[in-house]
Amino acid sequence: MAGEATGLSLRQFRAILRKDIVMELRTKEMITSMGIYALLTMVIYQVALSQSGSAFDPRNIAAGLLWLAFVFTSMLGLNRSLVHEKDQGCLEALLLSPVDRPVIFFSKAVGNLIFLLIVQVLTIPVFAFLFLQEGSYAGEWWMIPLALIAGAVGIAGVGTLLATMSVNTKGKDFVLAVLFVPLMYPLLLAAVSATSAAILGGDGSVQQFWTGMGMMAAFDAIMLLASFALYEFIVGA
Amino acid sequence: MAEATSNEFAVEVRDLTRVFGVRKALDGVSFDLPAGAFLSIFGPNGAGKTTLVKVLTTLTAPSRGTAKVSGFNVVADAVELRSRIGLISHNPLLYPDLSAEENLEFFADMYGVPDAKARVRELLSAVELDHRRLDLVRTFSRGMLQRLSIARALLHRPQVLFLDEPYSGLDPHAVEILDNLIAQIRADHTFVMISHDLTKGLTLCSHALILARGKVVLSAPRAEIDETEFAATYRATVGLGVA
Repeated sequence: MAGEATGLSLRQFRAILRKDIVMELRTKEMITSMGIYALLTMVIYQVALSQSGSAFDPRNIAAGLLWLAFVFTSMLGLNRSLVHEKDQGCLEALLLSPVDRPVIFFSKAVGNLIFLLIVQVLTIPVFAFLFLQEGSYAGEWWMIPLALIAGAVGIAGVGTLLATMSVNTKGKDFVLAVLFVPLMYPLLLAAVSATSAAILGGDGSVQQFWTGMGMMAAFDAIMLLASFALYEFIVGA
Repeated sequence: MAEATSNEFAVEVRDLTRVFGVRKALDGVSFDLPAGAFLSIFGPNGAGKTTLVKVLTTLTAPSRGTAKVSGFNVVADAVELRSRIGLISHNPLLYPDLSAEENLEFFADMYGVPDAKARVRELLSAVELDHRRLDLVRTFSRGMLQRLSIARALLHRPQVLFLDEPYSGLDPHAVEILDNLIAQIRADHTFVMISHDLTKGLTLCSHALILARGKVVLSAPRAEIDETEFAATYRATVGLGVA
């Protein structure tokens, strides 16, 4: 019986994830809007720092700029992922099916994570071109992808929960932003610290990186468990 | 796995109340519906009809009282119950950027339908949409959407079908197809239909119920209903307004 239920949950998980990916590949709504927004943010940063003079080293704030762009970009995409379901009344059809609510959460969160990672992959080369001149990247190469993945997991998990919460409210964009930024604060701090260590390198950078990664892993685990426990209540509200 | 507690009634509602803020959308609603029956629910806008269907389909939790569908409690046995009910709404509940076939296959996966591809083909044929199976749903007319919505609701062979104004906005051909489909599956299902169309609702039903301001004004088997009297009672509730 338990095996049967697990089999159905896996089938449902794959179906929701596949459906979200197929629809996104067809409409390209999320990736296009998130990608363009992220690239424009990079250009604005570049313009804003263009008069900072030769003494200013943009590497010192590069990690912060990068995560700022990802936070705002992800808010744009996360809202769309649930609004899509709500607008067509499809969320009701989904809730009507015999699916455990956490299955909806995990499939939606994994879908959002995939889209976030795609946007990150598109953004990083532009970011490196604009802010990291040749030879200025001093850390280990593998640090950046690890930090990006750990940060994206937290953003996708918490973001999916909050997007579900805000989708039933009138000012959904505003509600998501107001809830998202304060909740993400510890993760952002850790992500910026780890990414900064990766970019700047130097003595103690590896330790700083792993401390940041540890904080992100703890945040991701706590928030994913909390989202798992709360999703049934939130999605049915 | 929860066990159904009774097979005699398909729907059992006791003192069902649903409160939104200070407003009682449902106020102590009680009725029973035998298995295999067709219940038509009438009432003015804001009477609580949609809220009642939402509670019975587990989409909204009641504030007080109990409800069982196919013997399963709508709160405690919600997951088990969902695999035994279907909903056809005036909103098609379909993904516009998926094809007709992809939509049905998606919902077949959600319900764990065995041999999903064959079942999807069978239903697409039944609703006369097999020739449009690969077309995106956003290109469908209202009537086609409603036919596909019927196929979606029947995929998992539900025991109880909830119809929320299913004829709303349909052209005569789509009405005919819906009538035929209901006639075909009538013997094997229990139906609960919300309708504003008194003639249609009374023609189809074996039981009728009028709701007004969240309360049951009248509930009776069709055989005991005098149409003129029923129409007069229904018209009187229209002036009562929102619960």
